Amino acid sequence: MEVNPLAVILAYFDSKGDRLLYRYPYHTLGQTHKLEEPREELVNKKRNPFAVTHTDDLLQTPTQQSQNQQSAGQLQGFADDVLSALFAVKPQLCNQKFELKLNDVRFVSHPTLISSASTVQVNAGNSQALAAGSSIAAAGAVKKQQMLINIVFALHAQASYSIVKCYHELSKRLGLALKFEEQRSGYLTEQTALMARTHDEQQQQQQPLERTLELIAERCTLAQALRSICNDLCTTGLLSTTLNQNLTLTFCLPAKAHQLHKKGSMVDPETIDRCLRALKPYHGMLLLVDFAELLDCVPPTGARMLWQLVDAYNPLISLQSMASNADLSIEHVYKLVSHLVYWAKATIIYPLCETNVYVIAPDAPLHTRSHLVEKFSTRFAGMSLFEVISDFSLPTSIGHLTTPLQQPARQGMLAQMVLWMLQHHLLMQLHTYVQFMPSDVDDKFEDSASCAHVAAGNLTEEEQDSNHTEDETMSRVADEDPMHGGSMLSMSSQPLPMPVNSHRRHMTDDHFSVASDNIAVQPSSSHKSNFSMTASMSTDNCDSLDSMEDEQKLKELLQVFNDADRAAIRRIPASLNLDDLSLLVKLYQMGYFKSEHHLEEIMYFENLRRSQLLQLLDKFRDVLILYETEDPAIASMYNNK
Amino acid sequence: MHSHANEGVSPGSTEGKIRCIFLSEFHATAGCKISCQVPENYISKEVFDAINVYIIPKQHLQRCILTVNAMEVKIVGYPVGIQDQQKYARNAFLFNLCFVCDSRARSVQYEPVVKKLSEYLIMMEEESCFLSREDDKLRLQKIFETVLRDLNERKVATIVEGDNTIYLKIVMHKPDPPPVKDHMVPLLLANLRDTPLENWDLTTQQILPYINGINHVARIAAEADVETDLVKSCIQNLVYYGVVQLLPILKYSNVYMTQNLKNLIQSTALSNACRKYVALQPDKILPSIQRIFQFYASMTHGVTLRAICQRLNPQNKNIDERKMVIFGLQHKFIRCIQKYPVFTGSVPSGRQKMYTGLISFDEICCKTGLSPFTIEKDIEKDTNVTVIWK
Repeated sequence: MEVNPLAVILAYFDSKGDRLLYRYPYHTLGQTHKLEEPREELVNKKRNPFAVTHTDDLLQTPTQQSQNQQSAGQLQGFADDVLSALFAVKPQLCNQKFELKLNDVRFVSHPTLISSASTVQVNAGNSQALAAGSSIAAAGAVKKQQMLINIVFALHAQASYSIVKCYHELSKRLGLALKFEEQRSGYLTEQTALMARTHDEQQQQQQPLERTLELIAERCTLAQALRSICNDLCTTGLLSTTLNQNLTLTFCLPAKAHQLHKKGSMVDPETIDRCLRALKPYHGMLLLVDFAELLDCVPPTGARMLWQLVDAYNPLISLQSMASNADLSIEHVYKLVSHLVYWAKATIIYPLCETNVYVIAPDAPLHTRSHLVEKFSTRFAGMSLFEVISDFSLPTSIGHLTTPLQQPARQGMLAQMVLWMLQHHLLMQLHTYVQFMPSDVDDKFEDSASCAHVAAGNLTEEEQDSNHTEDETMSRVADEDPMHGGSMLSMSSQPLPMPVNSHRRHMTDDHFSVASDNIAVQPSSSHKSNFSMTASMSTDNCDSLDSMEDEQKLKELLQVFNDADRAAIRRIPASLNLDDLSLLVKLYQMGYFKSEHHLEEIMYFENLRRSQLLQLLDKFRDVLILYETEDPAIASMYNNK
Repeated sequence: MHSHANEGVSPGSTEGKIRCIFLSEFHATAGCKISCQVPENYISKEVFDAINVYIIPKQHLQRCILTVNAMEVKIVGYPVGIQDQQKYARNAFLFNLCFVCDSRARSVQYEPVVKKLSEYLIMMEEESCFLSREDDKLRLQKIFETVLRDLNERKVATIVEGDNTIYLKIVMHKPDPPPVKDHMVPLLLANLRDTPLENWDLTTQQILPYINGINHVARIAAEADVETDLVKSCIQNLVYYGVVQLLPILKYSNVYMTQNLKNLIQSTALSNACRKYVALQPDKILPSIQRIFQFYASMTHGVTLRAICQRLNPQNKNIDERKMVIFGLQHKFIRCIQKYPVFTGSVPSGRQKMYTGLISFDEICCKTGLSPFTIEKDIEKDTNVTVIWK
């Protein structure tokens, strides 16, 4: 696994010279090379099975051989003194990223220059911390101004850029922490001196190096910390280490941590960032771990706010509601959620509700040997994962899978199972997106021709008829403010007689219903009535002045479209309705019809109800294309095939 | 800390050009220095002083590829030492030929080139003291200039220097392509039909005429009369070089799902390319992007290609639905939803052993040689088998 570090190395440099004080694991790096080398060669061979070995290339062949021998002889052990010389960087290179690649090992670090606490001591006079410095003094060392500490992570050369960046960050933080502890209590001086002394002692007794390093780990807390860091990185990717029993350092290697929930996935921080940047108030959060485990990832000082959020946690509500329930600002909630997502403790979902449409994720690890099968049946006794999830082979909502006749407990159970499957990335939610796209004139012609083909011959007549009546009714539209969505809302409570043109819509319904027929709460077609138009019909008193004004307003509204689009919209009967058209224009101008906003988002930001929006989209379906796809922000956390 | 300044600009590493080529040597009196650099002063003296330990390292690290990435530059080098007590003042001549890239750029692809060019220089040095003679730096500079320009522009460079001809080529390292299976369909990406057939290897020559984006591997093998394993490895090789892309087999009973469909309309170049590609008769009026978009948009779970074709009748609109599917798959606007039968009983027998959830329906058909219809009936009868679409 290229994520794991090969080793962690502590190099130290001061006026006395450079030294490799500690490294973990203890076996020489060369041994990993021995293991690595044959595999590397295999990979090389496999890389291109068709490549002809250039036996005639006189330049390459002999050197190639010598190179192999050399790498077998020399690189087998990067001797510790070679390494320490490499990592004792010049002062110009300090306090910035340092990366060195030697054949197939990549070393990453953040060399940190630390002014020794003992000099501070000398300046400040005597105090107890001198005890630490005195051991050096006893060893006959001259007090120095500065020391360089370099915590180096050795990685596989194939490690990706973002992984390297994470390790650099960790090295930087360790450096900073040590700097702080050094200035606080001379911790580093004490620890490095102890390590150096152990090295000297053991060298005199001619003990093997491995034994020395073990002894150092027994004696020095810093070595212990580094050892546990390396182990944690290899197992969970999450670490929380306390240096000098004082400073807690927490760190998360996302590429590793996210594998805990989903084996084989490589989630790099950039992906997480992209997902988190797209975070909206209507999103929800789904915890992946127990409450108790949550505290691993926060220092105790940050825990209060987290508890506040966790108390309000509910996967059924949006972040906005969670924020108001927890009495936190939405920005704080974003921060907390981002943190939890980064640490693989939570994931972003759209709040669970009956109308959400789910489908099996393309990369769901569903096979008979999967450990999830057993996990599922332990969690939900007597249920089979495959049976439950096969319901989601087609996009399905919870609402569809339950009927009102069933007990409510069954629905709760189903919700639990859906949450479980979302936690394990087995399901993915689909959203409906809208694209404004008027068809061409000739297409339109073909369409109406095919319509006529399907429908009875009298349709065209009726159409004309309905247009006619609409024209009349339109001219009588009451002078309500068209820009006010509120007026429409109030009208929707009025009784709804069938609009004249619903007949025709019925005919073409199955012609166009693909995109919308998977929306869970689609109102049945008899309810797709045009309330604003009804309202206009019910208003009797009107005069020609108003109609002139409306005419003018309609024209103004249509100005936002270009000529071709305007013509296409004009062909739609609903475009003569001021309310419908103004809502369409408003949504169009807000850029909601560019395939970038799903229905739920439009509903949330424009304060519309689903039925309202669906009605509008249906009326203008000749110029709009609806289709289902996944939310790209959330889907980026899935590995698509 | 300034190395962090531009980290927000673009995440991840990028393919970078070679910014500079220089030769550094250990001078008998002046110590480490850059003796020839193109373009001049790209690596400033301060930077060089900070990192010269890694350019002319100790003897143990000679002849291994050493990349150092610090102070905003990434330097790929191959330190060399030539021992000769007669020729050199310090009994050895130490030098390093280095390529410089941006610190965020990938540099693996340059490693073999650096090494090869170094080997040429070693040879020329041993033959004629090409590097150690003070007066010859101008010739070296010419070489570097050509290498820098040609490698950046064409990824290939050929330089004639005296009796030697230097051939260099950048070969990109890519991860191994996944194994090719019987039911996959190879699609030629680039316009390689123009390349004369004899430039290909023998197997490729034989199978190339059958690669059309419709035939699957097993069929290509049968029609070209080539062994299936050979076809597979040949196609895998073509995939590695990005000449061929593997698609799922096209059936009218397939179900497709859209993803990132908005890219199609947001890029004019792409939508024009699409219109041209999917046209049934290219000489007639090209199908409108609206039509095409509508076609793609109607692809969703539970709707087969057959149903879409019946409804939208693409052929009437000068759209070839097969090409449309291929274009969508190729540019990842759509993906094919595969069927996976899963055996949920206790002990599988016979064909049930294949129903693990890992083997798709297409693959099972291909392996057993049975028609999809037969398998479908078989699965339907069996109460222990659940089908998962994903």
